[in-house]
Amino acid sequence: MTRNILHLDMNAFFASVEQRANPALRGKPMAVIGSKHRGVILSPSYEARAFGVKTGMTYGEAKQACPDITMVPADSAKYSHACETLMEVWKDFTPLVEMFSIDEAFLDVTGCDALFGDPVRIAIRIKERVWNETRLTCSIGIGPNKLLAKLGSDMQKPDGLVLISPDDVADVLEDMPVKEICGIGPNLTRHLAAMGIFTCGELGRAPLQQLITKFGIVGERLHDMGLGRDDDPVIPLAIQDEEEAKSMGHSMTLDVDCSDIIMIERHILQLSEKVGRRLRRGSYSGRTVSLTLRYADFHTFTKQRRLRHGVNHGLDIHATAVALLHEIQPKQAIRLVGVSVSGLERNATQMPLFEDERKKKFISEAMDDINDQHGEFTVTWGTLAHRNHHERIISPAWRPTGDRQY
Amino acid sequence: MPIEIDEPINVGAVFSRGAIKPVWFSWNGRQIRIREVTFSWKTQEGSAGLLHFSVADGQGLYEIVYNMTTMGWRILNAE
Repeated sequence: MTRNILHLDMNAFFASVEQRANPALRGKPMAVIGSKHRGVILSPSYEARAFGVKTGMTYGEAKQACPDITMVPADSAKYSHACETLMEVWKDFTPLVEMFSIDEAFLDVTGCDALFGDPVRIAIRIKERVWNETRLTCSIGIGPNKLLAKLGSDMQKPDGLVLISPDDVADVLEDMPVKEICGIGPNLTRHLAAMGIFTCGELGRAPLQQLITKFGIVGERLHDMGLGRDDDPVIPLAIQDEEEAKSMGHSMTLDVDCSDIIMIERHILQLSEKVGRRLRRGSYSGRTVSLTLRYADFHTFTKQRRLRHGVNHGLDIHATAVALLHEIQPKQAIRLVGVSVSGLERNATQMPLFEDERKKKFISEAMDDINDQHGEFTVTWGTLAHRNHHERIISPAWRPTGDRQY
Repeated sequence: MPIEIDEPINVGAVFSRGAIKPVWFSWNGRQIRIREVTFSWKTQEGSAGLLHFSVADGQGLYEIVYNMTTMGWRILNAE
């Protein structure tokens, strides 16, 4: 049975939300940036893209490309709420909705014809509902699998609608550059080019054994990609939520580059507390603590330590991360700090044997209760009285429900 | 750029069919009539749900917020 998969891509999502919220920004070149003071471009409006402004540019690069551009600091609460509203719309058409990122989703509408019409009709109805409820536009690709649906939504932006039917696959892929396929990044594109493979048509015709010899098991997957084959199911959110988290972490770009170790330790404590809160909320503990630092020149690296026991208390995470910081002895001012815990286990902690540890656990639980009731950091360590109040940035792993909603 | 305010305000709003539509609010000694609710979103502060409204009066843009637990309104910023 031929599947009908839709890929929905919200157009310039963060920027479009800000243009909805502020009429003065509509129709003008603007971009959402990581923080009030600095950061990279997270989402340029289409008006800014016309000047060559791209995601990932620095503030200065964007200003150079478009001197009249307006920068708006990211407001993740707006975007996550908009995403939740979109989810509700999508779920009215099918329960098989897979969040691919905060602004992209796959919908499996196979067998929905009797209820809502053919896939093109469904896509039109979804676009109408999205517009009516959020005043945002989206591009939709329709295909017999996720690979082709995603390719379709990328082919027409903004506000596009592209159907790739099984009969069209060979024609569509013949001259399509391989880099347009989701999953083929710059490195693979380079390796394929070295083999004389530039288009999906050439990839599909390449001998399977040659691809396997060069890329291992990925070779088979690449061969299928070249032919437009993809059997991956749409994994609904409820099942995505059940998947155990592998790691949890937070990072922050500092308002100014910092060389003061005491200040950096304070930022690490704040991040460790946030990570600890999320771990405890999901009944997780983890054995590996990682510290990520980015120097002022953007050189970024991570150092990690494996512990004998799982931890989920902010102070324990902090102690390990600070030990790592002292081992690193930063050679430059720090731009970004990140703390994460991996090697997670669920429900693996037990009542501590010793009095001091028990006290620490009880204090932590009491603090969690108060903060659950009155808001994060209502009760916290005195060191964090002057913590950084920067806006958090939504991680690509964010989902509207489950452990990854934070 | 918006100016951060965070002050309690009085708001006239229509509560209908599970939705809230602010119509006017008093701030700085004057009553501001809302022409457009440009965007609304929810956040959580501890156990309290907060409903944020970005509202325009034709001259300025304001963010007001309704605390569903205390049933109080605040103005957070204006520009």
